[in-house]
Amino acid sequence: MEPVVSVPSGQSGSALVIDGVYKGYGSGTARVSVIENVSLQAPRGQFVTLIGPSGCGKTTLLRIVAGLLEVDRGTVSIFGESVQRASAAKHIGLVPQSPALLPWRTVLDNVRLPLQVNKKPDSDGSRSHADPVAVLESFGLGDVVGRRPAQLSGGMQHRVAIARAFVFDPPVLLMDEPFAAVDELTREMLRHELLSIWQRNKKTVLFVTHSIAEAITLSDVVVIMSAHPGTIQSVIPIGLPRPRDDLVETTEEFHELERRVRLELRDSWRGAR
Amino acid sequence: MSELPRSGVDERTDTHPDRPVLEPAVAEPPRRRAMPGWARPSVWLPPLVAFAVLAVAWQLYAVHNPFVIPTLGKIFHELASRPGFYFRNALTTLKEALVGAAFGMGIAFLLAVVMSYVRIVERAVLPLAVILNVTPVIAVAPALVVAFGFGPTPKYIITAVLVFFPFLINSLIGLRSADPLALDVLRTLHASRTEILWRLRLPSSLPFLCAGARICVPLSLIGAVVAEFVAAGQTNGLGTLIVTAASLSDLPTIYASVAVLAVMGIVLFVLVVLVQRRLLAWHSSATLTK
Repeated sequence: MEPVVSVPSGQSGSALVIDGVYKGYGSGTARVSVIENVSLQAPRGQFVTLIGPSGCGKTTLLRIVAGLLEVDRGTVSIFGESVQRASAAKHIGLVPQSPALLPWRTVLDNVRLPLQVNKKPDSDGSRSHADPVAVLESFGLGDVVGRRPAQLSGGMQHRVAIARAFVFDPPVLLMDEPFAAVDELTREMLRHELLSIWQRNKKTVLFVTHSIAEAITLSDVVVIMSAHPGTIQSVIPIGLPRPRDDLVETTEEFHELERRVRLELRDSWRGAR
Repeated sequence: MSELPRSGVDERTDTHPDRPVLEPAVAEPPRRRAMPGWARPSVWLPPLVAFAVLAVAWQLYAVHNPFVIPTLGKIFHELASRPGFYFRNALTTLKEALVGAAFGMGIAFLLAVVMSYVRIVERAVLPLAVILNVTPVIAVAPALVVAFGFGPTPKYIITAVLVFFPFLINSLIGLRSADPLALDVLRTLHASRTEILWRLRLPSSLPFLCAGARICVPLSLIGAVVAEFVAAGQTNGLGTLIVTAASLSDLPTIYASVAVLAVMGIVLFVLVVLVQRRLLAWHSSATLTK
């Protein structure tokens, strides 16, 4: 067993612990191993980004943490509880690759959706939910609450999808390449919006991306994965001071980190061949 | 964040692709768009001409072959001479069609919901449904008359069986058409299967249910008429009327009944489309039916 990769942090208590996780598909000789012996810890309030070549199991790992896939071996815990229990307690918010909004609902009703299902954990009143309208306003969507998703631009639809994950205030947020489908300019804008929202409302985030700049700008820690099978190759702490803004990408430290991540990714890509 | 440009809204409302931006508004030529789409001759003239040509051809043929088809005048006269009679018969057939369709579509939909819940039910039932679909149910009609008598019951059954399969398949595909990523979001929230059915699968299936209804509602009319042909013996209904008139070589009555059936079919289809437009205002297909 490889040693557990410990993510450096100044805070105590792990929000997310992934311990020795294996996952494969198929059976017998046709079995393909997607993830092997992946271990990761993220303290509360940390922004962790998974980056790596296609097929390195980033999305599979995210889906395991979301409770959408079962592990073959190993454990995943969220605040010390199983993924199933965390999900039942509505501790996990998911922002998928496409906004996946319900086209028959207005923007406001889409954002209300998480409050309408699985109401049990709320009944004890221990958790207070943000007012959906206020959340939408904080995302710059105050003018379009009554519109249907088809009447919005791609960038706005993504903002609604993020607002939907924020509205029930889950302590853990999982984001699977949420901006992959939008154009570069919109993507940059969304990245900085997410940065400013996250800095105001620090959640533990597991973020999957293909963009090095996105990874560095947003994260406390960048986890580089290599493929076939998917393993953690290295963990790079991003020491850039917070709060960050869009100017962070012009700094010397940023470029140094970018170079480092790029070199690591090149190694991981070579290893994949 | 708030000072960032709000993409989308402004671009969309300001865009006039057919108007050069620099051209002053006063120089704009009068636009043909002011006329509603259906009022343009290019829309209503072609079908009207086709209709007129067909009517003239029918009339010419009917005048020279009175024992093949009646003239339009005779059909119209037949209808006008006893409208109440045709109305009563139409009502009987309509009731058979709608009751049969409601049962067939309702059972098909409920079964599809159960099948989407429990895979094993799908495996068990789907082959049976396929067999039912490829069997010409009309062949069973005489047996149904023996079993249920000459009342409306055999007609309900035949109509229901006829619409069952197309609606079952549409419902199944519809319930499965839910966006898998939206499904992921709901599963991560630990939504129950009933919540997922109610909030995601059912609304996602609506376009498919409407497509199914557009097939099944007119089909139910065919089912009712054919059932009346085979399981005649009732005194009422347009299908019965046609069979009786045929035995008397009464062509005007037959074609008058067919004309009434055609109008019923059109009315039912338009009603389905109107309901669909109301239900699916959010869906891209709603614009295609205009």
